[in-house]
Amino acid sequence: MEIISALAIGALFGLGIYQLLRRNVIRSAIGMVIISNAVNLFLLSIGAYNGVVESYAKAIGQRSDALPQALILTAIVISLGGFSFVLATLFVISTRYRTGDSDEIRGLTN
Amino acid sequence: MTQTLLAILPFVVPLAGAVIALLLRDNLRLQSLWALGAMLTALILSSFLLFMVASAGQPLVFQMGAWPAPFGISIVADLLSATMAVMVQVVFLFGFIYALGSKDKATHYPTFYPLFLTLCAGLTGGMLTGDIFNLFVMVELIVISGTVLTAISDDRYGAEAAYKYFMINVFGTFCLLFGIGALYIGYGTLNMADLARHIAARPNEPILFAGVVFLTITFMIKSAIVPFHFWQPDFHTAAPTPVSAMLSSVVVKLGVYMFFRMTTLIVPHMTWLHGLLIVAGIVGIIFGGFGATGTHNAKRMFAYSTLAQIGFILVGIGWGTPLSLAAALIFTVNHALIKSAMLMLSGYLASRAPVKSASFSVIKGTGKYAPFAGVLFFLGGMALAGLPPMNGFISKLTLFRSGVVASQAGPLSETSFWLPLALLGVSSIMTLVYVFRALMKIWWEPFEPDNAGDKMKARGDLLVAPAGLIALCLLFGLWGGPLVNLAQDTTAWISTPEKYVQAVMKESLSSHVAWPVGEK
Repeated sequence: MEIISALAIGALFGLGIYQLLRRNVIRSAIGMVIISNAVNLFLLSIGAYNGVVESYAKAIGQRSDALPQALILTAIVISLGGFSFVLATLFVISTRYRTGDSDEIRGLTN
Repeated sequence: MTQTLLAILPFVVPLAGAVIALLLRDNLRLQSLWALGAMLTALILSSFLLFMVASAGQPLVFQMGAWPAPFGISIVADLLSATMAVMVQVVFLFGFIYALGSKDKATHYPTFYPLFLTLCAGLTGGMLTGDIFNLFVMVELIVISGTVLTAISDDRYGAEAAYKYFMINVFGTFCLLFGIGALYIGYGTLNMADLARHIAARPNEPILFAGVVFLTITFMIKSAIVPFHFWQPDFHTAAPTPVSAMLSSVVVKLGVYMFFRMTTLIVPHMTWLHGLLIVAGIVGIIFGGFGATGTHNAKRMFAYSTLAQIGFILVGIGWGTPLSLAAALIFTVNHALIKSAMLMLSGYLASRAPVKSASFSVIKGTGKYAPFAGVLFFLGGMALAGLPPMNGFISKLTLFRSGVVASQAGPLSETSFWLPLALLGVSSIMTLVYVFRALMKIWWEPFEPDNAGDKMKARGDLLVAPAGLIALCLLFGLWGGPLVNLAQDTTAWISTPEKYVQAVMKESLSSHVAWPVGEK
C-alpha cells in the first residue's frame, strides 16, 4: 500500500510540474491543481505521531490521527481559493493580451 | 491571560479591520481612514508588545483556545518576532500614508485597503506564530493578497506579473506543505518549539533532511533568493507604488525571518544550511548588483537591489556568530526603511511624469521640477550605498566588523569569511554606481519628453511617507545605539533556544501529558 501511494504521489507531482511548465497558461493552471492534489495525498499518507497511527482507519474500531485530515481540509480550501483566483487572472490575461501563450505575454522586460 | 493576549493582537487587529473595511466599501474616504486607524492601532499594540517582551525578559506565549503547547496553536512573541513585527508595521503605516495621498487608480478600488490590511496581518502573523502549519496559512494569505493587489495595478502588465508571482509562490507554499508533512512523519508535531526539542533529541531521522530541504526551497522562493528570484523584479515593478514599496522591503523579510529561526532554533546542527546561505547570498549580491546596473527602470533597479541587499543579510545569517546575527538583524530593519522610501520616491516621480512610468527614458530630467524629492533621493541613495551618516552605514559597518572578528575564531573555515568580505566590498561600490547613475539621470540630465510639449504634472503623490521614512533612516544613522542594543539582545535570546522551548512548552513539560522524547 505504501509503495502504491508513494508512486502515485510521485507521478502526480511529476505530471503537475510538467503541466506547470507548459506554454499554455490554462495548462499551467491545471498543473497547479494537480500538484495540490499530490500534496493532499502526501498529507493523507503521512500517518501520525511517529508514523505509528495512520490518518485513515484500516479496520473497524481502529483509532486514526485526525490532524493530517485537518491539514488536508485547510489545504483544499486554500487551493480552491487560489485556483478560482487563477481562473479570474486567466480571464484578464486572455482579454487584455489576446493570447494564452506564455511566450507571447512578455511585456515586462527591463 | 490578558497579558498573553497581547501576543495575538498585532495581527488580529488588521485582520478584523480588513473585514470591517470591506463592509465600508461604499464610502471610500471612510474606509481608507478606518484602515489607517486599524493600522495605527496594530502598530501601537505591536510596539507595546515589543516593550513588554523586552522588559519581561522572556517570550510571551499565547495558546489558542487554552490548549497546552504541542496540541494547540501557539503564538510566540520573543524579541526577534516582536522586533520584526514592529518593523513590518512601521513600514506598513508609511505605506498606508502613501496610499492615502496616491493618485493611482488602484488605490481607489474598494478592495485595496482591506487587501493591504490582510497583507499586513499575514506578514505579522507569520512572524509571530510558533506553529509551522499556521505559518503556511499566513504565507498563503500574503501570497493571495499580494497577488490581487498587483493584479489591480494601473500597469497594463499587472496581470502578467501577478500570474507569474502566483504560480511560483503557490508552488513554494506546496513545498512548504511537503516540508511540514515530512517533519510531521518524523517527529509527530507541528509546534516549532516542540519540533526543536524533538529534533535535538533525535537528529538522525531520515526524513528530516527532505523536510528541511523543502522548507529551504519555500523560504528561498518567498525571499526571492538566487536561484528562485526570477519572478521578483517583474512583480515588484508592475505592482502599484505603495504595494511594491511593501513587497520589496518587508514582504521578502518573511523568508529571512524563517532562516533566522531555522539556523538557530529548528535545525541548528545542520551546518550545510549555513554554507548554502552564504553561497546563495554572495551569488545574489553579485547578480543583484549587475542586474540593477543594467536596468532602464527606476523601480526595477530597486527591485534588483533588493536581491543584493537580501544577499548581505543571508551572508550574515550564514556566518552564524552572535555578532553577525545581530548585524543581519540590523541590516534587515534598516533595509526595510531604506528600500520602501526609495521605491516610494520612484513612484512619486512616475506619478509626476507625463506618462505614468518609472522608466528612465520617461523620468529622465523630471527631477528638475521636484527638488525636495531630489534631497530625499540623495539621502536614501547614500543610505542604500552605506555612506555615513545614514543607517545603511551602521548596518554595513556592523556586518563587516562581524566578518572580520569571526574570521579569527569562527565555526567555519577562514576562506568562508575573507571571500565574502571582499565581494561585499566590491558590491557596495556597485550599489554606489547604480544609485548615483539613477540620481544623475533624473536630476542632472535635461528634461526631454518623447512628445514635445508634454509637461510635468503639477501634482503627484504626496511626499509625506518617503520623507518620514528617510527621517527614520537618518535618525537610525545618527542615533543607532538603541537599534544595535536591541539587535544584540535579540541575538542573545535566539542563541539560547532552550529559553524559547521552555517558555512555549512549560505547561506540558510539567504535567503528565508530556510526550516522551527520544522514543519511537
